[in-house]
Amino acid sequence: MRLARGNFDAMQRKPEIFALGVIMLVLVAFPASVFGYQAWRVASAGVKVVEVVARVPAAGGFSPARLTLRAGEPVRLRISSPDVVHGLTIPGLGVNVDEIYPGKVVEVDVTPDKPGRYAFACTRWCGVDHWRMRGVIEVMALTPRPPSLVGQGEIVPPPLAGAGAGGGIPSSGGEVPLYQQLGIELDAMRHAAQATPGARPSIAAGAALDAKLPPELADPAKRRALAPADAFRHLRADPANAALSDDDVWSLVAWAWLKDVKPAALARAEALYARDCAACHGPDGKGRGPAGVNLPGMSKMDPTMPTGPANFTNASAMLAANDVLLQGKLLRGGMGTGMPEFGSLYTDAEQWAMIVYLRTFLFGK
Amino acid sequence: MRYALSDIPFIKRLLRSRWPQWNLTATLLLFFVLAIIAGLVGTPAGNRNFGIVFVWIVWWALLILLLVPFAGRLWCGVCPIPAPGEWLQRRALVQPRPGGKLYTLGVKWPRALRNIWLQNAGFLGVALFSIIILTTPSATALVLLGFVIVAVGASLVFERRTFCRYLCPVGGFIGLYSQVAPIELRVKDAAVCASHTDKTCYTGSDDGYGCPWLLFPGGLTNNTTCGLCTECLKTCTRDNIAIFVRQPGADLLKTTGRKLDEAYKGLIMLACAFIYSAVLSGPWGALKETAAAVGTPGWFAYAGIFLALNLAILPGLFWLAVRSGRWISKPASTTMRALFADYAAVLIPLGLTAWVAFTLSFALINFSYAWPVLSDPLGWGWNLLGTAGLKWTPYIPGFVPALQIPVLLIGLTAAIGLALRTTRQHGQSPWAAAPVAAFCTAATVGLLGLYLA
Repeated sequence: MRLARGNFDAMQRKPEIFALGVIMLVLVAFPASVFGYQAWRVASAGVKVVEVVARVPAAGGFSPARLTLRAGEPVRLRISSPDVVHGLTIPGLGVNVDEIYPGKVVEVDVTPDKPGRYAFACTRWCGVDHWRMRGVIEVMALTPRPPSLVGQGEIVPPPLAGAGAGGGIPSSGGEVPLYQQLGIELDAMRHAAQATPGARPSIAAGAALDAKLPPELADPAKRRALAPADAFRHLRADPANAALSDDDVWSLVAWAWLKDVKPAALARAEALYARDCAACHGPDGKGRGPAGVNLPGMSKMDPTMPTGPANFTNASAMLAANDVLLQGKLLRGGMGTGMPEFGSLYTDAEQWAMIVYLRTFLFGK
Repeated sequence: MRYALSDIPFIKRLLRSRWPQWNLTATLLLFFVLAIIAGLVGTPAGNRNFGIVFVWIVWWALLILLLVPFAGRLWCGVCPIPAPGEWLQRRALVQPRPGGKLYTLGVKWPRALRNIWLQNAGFLGVALFSIIILTTPSATALVLLGFVIVAVGASLVFERRTFCRYLCPVGGFIGLYSQVAPIELRVKDAAVCASHTDKTCYTGSDDGYGCPWLLFPGGLTNNTTCGLCTECLKTCTRDNIAIFVRQPGADLLKTTGRKLDEAYKGLIMLACAFIYSAVLSGPWGALKETAAAVGTPGWFAYAGIFLALNLAILPGLFWLAVRSGRWISKPASTTMRALFADYAAVLIPLGLTAWVAFTLSFALINFSYAWPVLSDPLGWGWNLLGTAGLKWTPYIPGFVPALQIPVLLIGLTAAIGLALRTTRQHGQSPWAAAPVAAFCTAATVGLLGLYLA
């Protein structure tokens, strides 16, 4: 009996059903097994795996740039770069990856133990907008919300914390940065010291005169609000220092600023400077780093001011600036100047150590 | 001189059964699915992603170095891209519907587009964005998915394998270069076909479908459009169709009556071989960056130069060469347009060897990426076969130029030989081949310069 055109007979149906089974395996079971295997692998490893892709900022930077994790939950970050060499730092979680080579995958295991917001950033100069390559990890509390709070909005983690401790923006005075507490206008500030040292001050000579330091200079908290040039003027005006030369007084000022910093903290600040600042401000602090050549600098605020990054060896400008002002610039960055903010990446101690390190360009070590 | 390979009983059984070919396609479909999954959700690091490594290194190397030169359109016969559409069109996976019935709207492809101009345009489109596609897994996955979607759509609307015949950007150049291959599917005796009134090879029968490539095998004179699907071997009731082993490049010996769309395909392929060699393998980092910076003013300039080279500059130079030959010795009775298309046959060996040389430049260097990817296809830290940790190792890198030079010289020799043959077939003096031979020599020297500099 001849079949109607297009119809299968029973003998033909069996192989068709077999073939359909094969295709179902290929199109459904195979993809399901790929994802199932990965899910099993992750579950059996007891660690949450997060893929992070680092691309040059022009191509999107970190992806994802915002991660949500849970406190106490082990996480494996698998970081890869499809373009150039990047680095990664998550200061609050103690993560530092020096090199993420293109085509390689770097795995980092981390267990955030406290809720909060943790900034992360690229640490290699990967392109002109390298400093824009940032991201945030939000760590939520692992414990479930009490029934009374369910439906009343999400738990908002505390603000970004460089120290990862879940506190506010690092500052000595609590939630509000010192420069705001003291009413210092970062962008309007145009400082120029009336007196500058004739020669590089001697730290050793300053240390020998330690007994002559008044309380407001001996106490770091009080000294931060005082510019070195003001300190010089204050010391110079004191009749008890009449016998001291101007160089001696400058040495005493330099000693006051450097005496409290520990060598390890200064070494850390030096490393951070090399990583984050030297490309623009130059390794010698003179503001001539290759990445800063075309930055507008303070001329963005005032066209009469020089373009480019700040020159930390400029005595007139640096000695008229107090530490609080410098910390403010570090915390917030220079709006429109090209200066990124480091408040979310540096701990409180790192910020103050960095400011001391900046002083060493004039005072020496 | 040719030998009917498919008359060997074992091979005949292999070709007449529907299962071996189907199994191969289903296996390739599995790799294809994995490439798409890896591209969409796997690591974006291309050299750790199955989609990039297996499509653009392993598959491409196999296609250009082995399949096309030695087996012509064999890939088209097992390609997984049109398979889902074809299965839907047949409402069958393996067994033929009685009478070769198809479930499609059966719209006929517009007569004006029954050529490979759309394939040329498609290839140019893919090539223009190739720096992104070849290095970005997600882009590769989307392109592959796009091919499947278009193929399925074409199968449901148009008759048979319209996608393969007129749309597939890859099929266009495979068809062109398959003329070089030492195998062909042809009828054994044309007189048998002439007396066979049913023409089941074209109309289909209970044993199989009418030629999916819309061809009448009795009229086949070259490999360009035959997809080696072997349906006609199954439907021919007179056992009059076979796959033959033949003299390599036999299709090229007839250098008259060629088509302009195929001439342009040859020129586009040659231009792209140059551009790829310069952009992907050359020492100019800024050029590669510009080609990848899609949407920027620099990229638009690159795109303009790319299209101008493909569509105007290289064709213009070739036209000048042919015109100069015509000035040296006027052909018996041929228009300039026909002469241009006929001389373009020289671009087939020249272009294929250029692509072989280009493929050699990266395939041997990068092939070792395949081993870790086999164990960890998505770059998720797997180690299925224990090869995930194998380091990148370039294979015989110092030997690559020693392979490229003879390959390019073989292509040049064949091209000049074809140019001389063209002069004879058009009744021109052998000196008329000189400008075209100079064009081919300049192209070869240029490529050698790129590879050896």
